[in-house]
Amino acid sequence: MSATFWVWFGIAVYIAVGLGIALIARRQLGVGVSEFFLANRKVGGFVSALTYSATTYSAFMMVGLAGLTYMGGVGALGFELTYLCGMFMMVFFLPRFWLVGRKYGYISPMELLSDRYQSRWVGATAAILALVFLVPYMAVQFIGVGYLMNSISQGTIPVVGGMVIAALCTIAWSNIAGMRSVAWTDAFQALIMIATSAVVLGVVINALGGFGDFFSKLESATPGLLTVPTAKGVFSINMFIGLSLPWLFFLISNPQVSQRLFIPKSVTAMKQMLGGFLIFGFIYTLISVLWGFSATLLVPGLENADLATPNLLALPIIPTGLAIVVMIGITAAAISTIDSILLTLSSVWARDIHKGLINHKVSEKGELRVGQWVIPIMAIIAFVFAWWAAGKTGLNFMIAPLSSAASAGLLMAVPTIFGAFFWKRGTALGAMVSMIAGAIIVLVFQVTGWKPLGWWPGVWGFIICVILFVGISLATKPPREKAEEFMDYLQKKLKEGKFI
Amino acid sequence: MSKFVWAWIWFALLLALDIAIPWFILTRVEKVNGAFLFWTVWVVAAIISAFIIFLKWREMER
Repeated sequence: MSATFWVWFGIAVYIAVGLGIALIARRQLGVGVSEFFLANRKVGGFVSALTYSATTYSAFMMVGLAGLTYMGGVGALGFELTYLCGMFMMVFFLPRFWLVGRKYGYISPMELLSDRYQSRWVGATAAILALVFLVPYMAVQFIGVGYLMNSISQGTIPVVGGMVIAALCTIAWSNIAGMRSVAWTDAFQALIMIATSAVVLGVVINALGGFGDFFSKLESATPGLLTVPTAKGVFSINMFIGLSLPWLFFLISNPQVSQRLFIPKSVTAMKQMLGGFLIFGFIYTLISVLWGFSATLLVPGLENADLATPNLLALPIIPTGLAIVVMIGITAAAISTIDSILLTLSSVWARDIHKGLINHKVSEKGELRVGQWVIPIMAIIAFVFAWWAAGKTGLNFMIAPLSSAASAGLLMAVPTIFGAFFWKRGTALGAMVSMIAGAIIVLVFQVTGWKPLGWWPGVWGFIICVILFVGISLATKPPREKAEEFMDYLQKKLKEGKFI
Repeated sequence: MSKFVWAWIWFALLLALDIAIPWFILTRVEKVNGAFLFWTVWVVAAIISAFIIFLKWREMER
């Protein structure tokens, strides 16, 4: 039977298993928005760690990061590990999000901001930021799946066909049982992601003569790839900071991951979630980067670096069966990220925009219905964006820079989030103006390609955002009573749990 | 100084090293035991320090 048959067979098995898990999850689905969007805050440590991992790590890793390594060498490792180092901030933010989530019943991180700053407009502004900037991030996942399925099926599945398959899975899995189906399918997919990528990397390294030979070939065959900047000048300090700054604060700026800080059922589950994720992230990052390096040795000279992974998988040293399994692993990574984003955006729309601004008296049932409609609508918008971007080439349309650009927009919520937890003087006006102005700067600089002093859009946006947040907050009146109540509660509980 | 402040100082130091070592000290080392090894060890240090802190967290009453 042909490779195409086995590709379709693999996809069918993957969808069937995923669908089965989602349907089993539905049996445990209770009622209410907290149940649908947060699995009633009762997720165990193991599933929490895996859903956090699968949501964070996407097609970006084995396709985008591998492509960036192919083009930019070791700087890509530094860039991705800077994100992982940023996870150190979880020791501050994880217990704080978790504690106030339980105390005040927040459904989305934006609701936390609305309550803390005593203004629905703050949450709505952050919500719009997420709705705008997560579209390109979802789109790159679709693109990754499209490229991969097209290549493995030797062109019989068009790029857009792969994207359609991904879109349908994500809509189904996020709608079937909300967070419960997303978390369970994420856990299944995270295991596929790490197992398949480790196996295929082992096969490739073995074909290159083992780790010793692989590293010595890397040093001799591709001079300049192991330094920053590279011999071709890629990964200047400005490029590194421009890419890494949005990634560093990913844990709080991206609502699909910060919403997960509400879900662990206990402190023990929180610890397992954080520890499990750090180990998963370290291993998966090394695998993805080594994969990209092996592509520089085995498939040199590609014009589009994002095609490094598909080209590597098409080599005769990779058995067709294994290539298909890896394709499924990367598809799983993409789908598990998109469905989490869709679910978060649906909760954000339902709670922070529909209930917050449009209809304050909407029932829980009505809120849920609105949220469930948002899922397919956002999926279609991201799909159209992906369709448009898939045909483009150049650094700005590579998967990694496009992902980082999306996070650059979300970065503008970071001063507001810091202020919520650590600065009683922060005000709603400061928060709103800083987010809006920062986002406009990022969008304008991104679209025009303007980089004054060589600094990237996210860096400029962030600097101006911080200045505006602090300046305007100092000039306006803070919600002192709420700030004191919020922070006093945290201080008391942090001490009780031995958090710092 | 409190543990909270020390933890932020440690994190800031990690970020300073993130730039200083690869771009200013190892920029000419075209070996795996240059920037590649540095970033690997560096992030392991960050991960271990996070473990040291969060393993002390205590279960709380519901």
